[in-house]
Amino acid sequence: MESNKAELIEKIIDALKEKYEDQVLGIDSPYEFLTVSLKQEKIVEIIRYLYDHPDTRFRFLTTLCGIHYPDQNAIAVMYQLHNMVTNQRIRLKIFLPEDNPVTPTITPIFSGANWMERETYDFYGVVFQGHPNLKRILNVEEMIMFPMRKEFPLEDQVREDKSDKMFGR
Amino acid sequence: MQTVSLDNVIVSDKPEGLEGAGFFATSLEKVVGLARKNSIWPLPFATSCCGIEFMATMGAHYDLARFGSERLSFSPRQADLLMVMGTIAKKMGPVLRQVYEQMAEPRWVLSVGACACSGGIFDTYSVLQGIDRIIPVDVYVPGCPPRPEQIIEGIMNIQRLVESESLRRRNSPAYKAMLNNYGIE
Amino acid sequence: MDQAHLNDYFPIVMMFIVASGFVVVTMVATHLLGPKRNTKTKLEAFESGIASKGNARVPFNIKYFLVAILFVLFDVEVIFMYPWAVLFKELGMAGFVEMVLFIAFLLVGFLYIIKRGALKWE
Repeated sequence: MESNKAELIEKIIDALKEKYEDQVLGIDSPYEFLTVSLKQEKIVEIIRYLYDHPDTRFRFLTTLCGIHYPDQNAIAVMYQLHNMVTNQRIRLKIFLPEDNPVTPTITPIFSGANWMERETYDFYGVVFQGHPNLKRILNVEEMIMFPMRKEFPLEDQVREDKSDKMFGR
Repeated sequence: MQTVSLDNVIVSDKPEGLEGAGFFATSLEKVVGLARKNSIWPLPFATSCCGIEFMATMGAHYDLARFGSERLSFSPRQADLLMVMGTIAKKMGPVLRQVYEQMAEPRWVLSVGACACSGGIFDTYSVLQGIDRIIPVDVYVPGCPPRPEQIIEGIMNIQRLVESESLRRRNSPAYKAMLNNYGIE
Repeated sequence: MDQAHLNDYFPIVMMFIVASGFVVVTMVATHLLGPKRNTKTKLEAFESGIASKGNARVPFNIKYFLVAILFVLFDVEVIFMYPWAVLFKELGMAGFVEMVLFIAFLLVGFLYIIKRGALKWE
């Protein structure tokens, strides 16, 4: 079983490196979860390739979300794909510049990415080009900030009845 | 099993009035108050965990229906009491306000749970810190979640308010001023 | 058996007046005497708190109307059969023949409806 799994992972990495060796920034397996960091330019092609290739066949998008790395001034977009036949999962991460996080949408491949990309836009400000309906999904429409970025404070700023002493300020 | 005798039956008080052989005369306000307080039809605006406690309160054990709240209505047109139970996000605020404004007078608001009273433990950018920022509230029931007994205590306090409400309150200037405070016409 | 006098029907008329009068008076009196407070938001259509868009009146399929109107027609036919059923013996053969002709006419109409497919649901 173990060797079988290792073989599968080898096949996936080989299939990826065969065509997109230059796009790969790093491959890792934190907690035995295959994670590949990629450059942003050809991400849609790569996802399409992983969808079609017989060795990989990642036909299910588990989730997609954003991550803010303020030290690197980057906002990452993380895609988690799942091969339901061999029960293999893969995580793809692309890094976008903090001041202009733009990337093409993957809704043509996975319709489920529609709301997930809206959520990523709502909370991190990542603009997905080609998205059919890119507007805020969970927050109030009139909001101008992106709440999940690290500089945004968690607490409600309009409270006037909180005593600073009780909150350690 | 306790046998039922007249000493352990609680009879509710009757309002003041003139009593005689076969008749009872009192003022209209008192009769209307008595009728209204024993037939409050709630609108359960249940959003989170406090809604589950409300379901327990409506169940057979803590029966809320024996206070006259037999018929719940999810339409504000047919409800007397707006029970807000659960966390109200800022996105939900205008919806709650619209529902309150579409209720017909006389109407009361019961805020159940810490989140509805003051935002609860969710002191964040997305949670409305208390529904009394947008609608006037009559009774607050604190708790996270409050037990059914506490919700019933809240309802009984509402009953006290209902009993003593003046019949012409909705046309009084004080009521209008209170609503104007919240930006409601 | 006595002839039924008009006076004998008076209690029924009285009950009818009392019942409908009560309904009419309470509805009219409460509308006129009851305190009201209408505001613009209160009068808007209820849409669970979100702003309603557009008109609720949309054109609907005509087959619902056809079924309803044909039901009314044949129901009236059945209503005519009730007094005939009550006085069956007195009306004798003549009444029976008249009734059969009446039903035959309506049956021709019914066959026409079926042939034209007015009751086809799809």
